[in-house]
Amino acid sequence: MNIVVLVKQVPDTESPRKLKSDDSTLDRAAADGVINELDEYAIEEALKIKEAHGGEVTVLTMGPAKATDSIRKALAMGADKAVHLVDDGLAGSDALQTSYAIQQALGRTGFDIVILGSESTDARTGVLAAMLSERLGVPQITLANKVEIDGSAIKAQRVTDYGYDRVEATLPAVVSVVEKINEPRYPSFKGIMAAKKKPVETLGLGDAGIDAAQVGLANAATEVVDFADAPARAQGQIVTDEGDGGAKIAEFLASKKFV
Amino acid sequence: MSFIETEERRALRAAVAELGAKYGSSYYVEKARSGQKTDELWAEAGRLGYLGVNVPEEYGGGGGGIGDLAAVCEELAAAGCPLLLMVVSPAICATIIARSGTEGQREHWLPRFADGSVKMAFAITEPDAGSNAHRITTTARRDGDGWVLSGQKTFISGVDEADAVLFVARTEDQKGNLRPSLFIVPTGAEGFTHTPIDMEIVSPEKQFICHLDDVRLPYDALVGDEDGGLLQLFAGLNPERIMASAMGAGIGRLALGKAVDYAKDRQVFKAPIGAHQGVAHPLAAAKIELELARLMGQKAAWLYDGGDDMGAGEAANMAKYATAEAAIHCVDQAIQTHGGNGLTTEYGVGMLAGVVRLMRIAPVSREMILNFVAQHSLGLPKSY
Repeated sequence: MNIVVLVKQVPDTESPRKLKSDDSTLDRAAADGVINELDEYAIEEALKIKEAHGGEVTVLTMGPAKATDSIRKALAMGADKAVHLVDDGLAGSDALQTSYAIQQALGRTGFDIVILGSESTDARTGVLAAMLSERLGVPQITLANKVEIDGSAIKAQRVTDYGYDRVEATLPAVVSVVEKINEPRYPSFKGIMAAKKKPVETLGLGDAGIDAAQVGLANAATEVVDFADAPARAQGQIVTDEGDGGAKIAEFLASKKFV
Repeated sequence: MSFIETEERRALRAAVAELGAKYGSSYYVEKARSGQKTDELWAEAGRLGYLGVNVPEEYGGGGGGIGDLAAVCEELAAAGCPLLLMVVSPAICATIIARSGTEGQREHWLPRFADGSVKMAFAITEPDAGSNAHRITTTARRDGDGWVLSGQKTFISGVDEADAVLFVARTEDQKGNLRPSLFIVPTGAEGFTHTPIDMEIVSPEKQFICHLDDVRLPYDALVGDEDGGLLQLFAGLNPERIMASAMGAGIGRLALGKAVDYAKDRQVFKAPIGAHQGVAHPLAAAKIELELARLMGQKAAWLYDGGDDMGAGEAANMAKYATAEAAIHCVDQAIQTHGGNGLTTEYGVGMLAGVVRLMRIAPVSREMILNFVAQHSLGLPKSY
């Protein structure tokens, strides 16, 4: 089984995140880079599939040179090798362009299954899985909280507002996962020591067969027109219990879809 | 020469810090206050190989050094979980067995140190032989094919959760200066009892008095030579100091981090209190002391892992001294920054005071380190 897991490096969610004033793109230098949290679940699921069915897990990352740290962590968790798509021409690419660039890179790695987190904590578009499956012409299973592989069939539970759907597709396929699917492992000491020896292939635009005119900020289909700092957190709502406190809590939780 | 740790060491720190954050101060304090042990954290860290990073690879360990183990200890402490038995079990005991043990002892113990599935306590201090190890009276006498051990030890950490204790004794025909013999005694051995000492320290690991009343042991309970002497003992004591230094550094970071968070947030007059130099400067000074001490700890580990036991001895002593002082200052200033909150249970700062204060005393006292430096580093006359 050729399993490719897409890993994005994002600014640490614990540090303040900023857009740059000159081109409205994310200031990646301003904060420490970490693996996008949902991608850690994707890595874990990829490793579990490999452990159950054999094969090889390849990490595919598109991002600047400093994304190497995140690639090493994914390898330390147990992935076998990595492909790092890195080129200044990719900077500022939007979701549509990113899906194109990743499609091209997947042309080099091949795949039976592509796994990714259902969204990133920085851009939060949550559309990459859909765009990618459209470009690749393979089925998409999004928001999966359970995945089973049975021969060439993939069965999954897909989270919905009302519970979950059971869906099934034929491999190859693209699968995006949510945090309920598993508990990502920590890299073991041996994993950390082994990670440095694992192959990381670095691809530029030309290596991956990416047309420079279709990627990058200048060619993006979307544009950030304006942005502002997030408003300071407002004072919480105080509910006085007049015998209906429980009902009010339940009402609040239901309005936020927690229950 | 580089003062920056390797990529792998930094990745190890990041991974351990993440594991530590999953448990955190609240887990540690709850275990300590309810008389439980940090078993879940110990087991998980063990499974991930973090507790056996320094055990040789051929015995299932990580094949790294004491510098790696110190990094694990520091990061867990900085996350609020200082695991005292890391200083003892993998650092002292595993090191001594790896360096001086027989092949049989290595095969038996090291794979279990590697995954943390065994804990071994270490017993050297006696009621009348603390800083003066030459007065140790715990005695081993030959008895047929084996040994019989008698004596008393005090301030022994974690005996209640250990599978065995590594005892420092002397053979019966030895008089005068100590030529130590080391014995592995299972905690269930007949004639071996332990009694807890009530301590004013918030910690899941307890302190014990141990009594050995004619405890019979097989011949291979002896580690290394009968009077293999101080070298095999010191093989374990340098790592002990390096680890104590790392644990102090972690607690110092924890306290300083809490103080900084509080100082940024707490507002009494017009600005957060951290904007006042009376608050900021002592925290900055504590930060400088802490970083200098950490650097000496890393140097000691680097020398030790490079095989320079003598050089490591001086650096390990200096690191242990400096980190204890820095950690005390960090905690003291963190309490002061928090005002009354600094001594509440809720803020978790005041409860660190006991443990960092202990670090000025154990595993070797501030005064004995100053004696060592005065005599060996400066060449002054021996004072005792």
